[in-house]
Amino acid sequence: MTSGKVLIIGGGPSGLESARCVAELGGEAILIEKRERLGGTPDRENYAKLTHHWRDASEAMAEMAAAVTDNPNVEVKYQAEVKGMSGSAGNFTVEIEAGCVAESLNVGAVIVATGFQHFDPGRATQYYNYYSFPDVITLTDLEKMLREHNVVRPSNGKAPKKIAFVQCVGSRDRQIGNEYCSKVCCGIASKQAIELRQQIPDSKVFIFYIDMRMYGYWENEIYWPAQEKYNVNYIKGVISEVLPKGNQLLVRGEDTTMSRPMEVTMDMIVLSVGMEPSAGTRAIAQLLDIQQNKYGFIEAGGAGGLDPVATSKEGIFVAGAASGPADLDDSISKAGLAAARAVASVRKVMVMA
Amino acid sequence: MTENLTTVEQILERKSHPVVRDASIAPTHDMHDLLLELEAKGEIILQRVPEPYVEFTTKYGRKKKIPIEHTWHHKSCGHCGHIPGYASSILWLHRQFNLDYNDPTDQTSCTGWNYYASGASNAVGQAAVMSRNFAAAYETGYFPMIHCGTSFGHYKEIREQLVHHKELRDEVRRILGKMGKPLVIPEEIVHYSEWVYAMRDRFAERQLVDMSAITATVHPACHYYKIIAEDAIYDPEIYGGQRTAVVTALLEKLGINVADYSTWFDCCGFGFRHVLVQRDFTRSYAVLRKIETMINEANPDVTITHDTGCVTTLDKSQFAAKAHDRKVGVPVLSDAQVAALAMGAHPFRVVQFHWHSTDWRPFLEKLGINWQKYWDEFQGDLDQIRAGTKSGITWQDADQPINLTA
Repeated sequence: MTSGKVLIIGGGPSGLESARCVAELGGEAILIEKRERLGGTPDRENYAKLTHHWRDASEAMAEMAAAVTDNPNVEVKYQAEVKGMSGSAGNFTVEIEAGCVAESLNVGAVIVATGFQHFDPGRATQYYNYYSFPDVITLTDLEKMLREHNVVRPSNGKAPKKIAFVQCVGSRDRQIGNEYCSKVCCGIASKQAIELRQQIPDSKVFIFYIDMRMYGYWENEIYWPAQEKYNVNYIKGVISEVLPKGNQLLVRGEDTTMSRPMEVTMDMIVLSVGMEPSAGTRAIAQLLDIQQNKYGFIEAGGAGGLDPVATSKEGIFVAGAASGPADLDDSISKAGLAAARAVASVRKVMVMA
Repeated sequence: MTENLTTVEQILERKSHPVVRDASIAPTHDMHDLLLELEAKGEIILQRVPEPYVEFTTKYGRKKKIPIEHTWHHKSCGHCGHIPGYASSILWLHRQFNLDYNDPTDQTSCTGWNYYASGASNAVGQAAVMSRNFAAAYETGYFPMIHCGTSFGHYKEIREQLVHHKELRDEVRRILGKMGKPLVIPEEIVHYSEWVYAMRDRFAERQLVDMSAITATVHPACHYYKIIAEDAIYDPEIYGGQRTAVVTALLEKLGINVADYSTWFDCCGFGFRHVLVQRDFTRSYAVLRKIETMINEANPDVTITHDTGCVTTLDKSQFAAKAHDRKVGVPVLSDAQVAALAMGAHPFRVVQFHWHSTDWRPFLEKLGINWQKYWDEFQGDLDQIRAGTKSGITWQDADQPINLTA
């Protein structure tokens, strides 16, 4: 039977904004989240400050979650996952399992907001030794420590004096198949570099990059102050290896500005790991039978490429990083659009019915 | 549960789990699928890996079958020419377990020298040479096992060319037709060090020489794990699955301390073309980038590798550097040789240390092996050969393992 409800799968920033917008537009939303709490990747990975607004991530996520949990037009189901779906736009039957209880939901539209996961640096062909050396960490590992204002070398518990970021780990890489740019890592690394310089004033921080992708206001709000105020060193060159040297790490690569190979020692390496489709995104694509692109993200854009939230199935929309690398502004914007489209979709069917 | 861990402990806990390799999102095509398609179309004969075999995981999470026996030994020019103990050790190891194998006398070189060095051949010629060898193996019913790392890398590259180019297959088939041979591609291209990896537990069970006092560095062969990188074995127990597992896994099983060094991923310097036309580069590279770094950072008793060119380069580059007072002097062996030695193979009849140019005597002395005694025995063999009372050293002379430290 036709339904005016909109199912949102995923309780991260895009899912939360979709749910809030559906309610704001006068619709009814059911938000399902597989964890026991809302907030998605920023919450799960303990993001400290959000690029570029510098707002505390947990405070921002709490605000987004409250807009949903306090909303009478949104029903939230925790520890819930989709198990199957049938039907068509306006009349989907979605089988879920919430806790250990199976349930059947009748909804008119679906928004997929299952997000991304950070690239596992162990899968890369670059020899960074994330799993071998304690002091090779990722952006998310560093976020946790920055949040606690306690950045130390995992090997010895001491504050690092020389820290290097390696950009594009798991992105822009034909060999491992993630050919795309993950969009946010340059901004996040620069933000973290500033935070490191703030928290460890006598540290030297280096960012080894291919290109610095600082969109819009990131340029003047992050990139320039990182260099001018915080003396972060940006070095253009691909890093090929991270290997041990005494109790430090040897970083080997190419300094393309100086046209020569380089070997430098560091106390800690931070791998700027890119985005990949989350396991949830891959699974939901199969369960809902919607197309994925060659990287496994949900294929979006519609026939003319002007509909960034349309999937291959009518009545099913996608928001956020489930369709590809996205920053928070992207995710929230698309979530709003997906909500509008979903509400319009169910109303059209209901009018016709 | 990670809630009770500090942040650093959580980070270390996350990093203690080996990377998950999901074959469904591997970035390369699955060669097995492509070979099965060609077989179904009648384009090739696909020679299956015989039982018994063991399956291991390769770089992107796919499975690779490694046969334990019924293997056709595709030998290495460089082994037989420069380091014959390498070849005799591989076969000696097979013989210790009475494994069925075929040691062909009609095998040709893989002609990888053409491909990587002199450039004197062409794609069709190279592919035909490989296919001729594979057809010869197929006709015996034994499954090819490749002794040389370069042959292994070379054949993996040719396999890609054959699979993706019908015109190449057609041309090679025409050439093989003149010899009455079919176009055969084996289900797996297997390197002997993968067999050593599969057998390492069995080697350790029969270990007679205690190697716990030995520190070794590993040099992994570029042709093994960099060329067609997806077809190399990775093991979560070895470097968390981050570096190829063969060689290191064997040494750990034998109780050897494996030391890391900062040029682990560097080539040995052999380079093929380099060693032909710019030999000083090869020698310098091997000594300055690899041997001296190993000595400065790890001070190993021995360095172990698994390719002909690597053993040759690392071993034979050191004497020239010694003349220039560089810091050298690390003996170089293959994994097969160290496994054979551990199991009591004669140091000269089987392992053939005398072909190695960097001084191996301190290494044997540290193991408690009275090498002089076994050298005298070997000299006795040679005296008999000179006297005409013996035609050569036979398997009968060499098969029996010896308690070398007794």
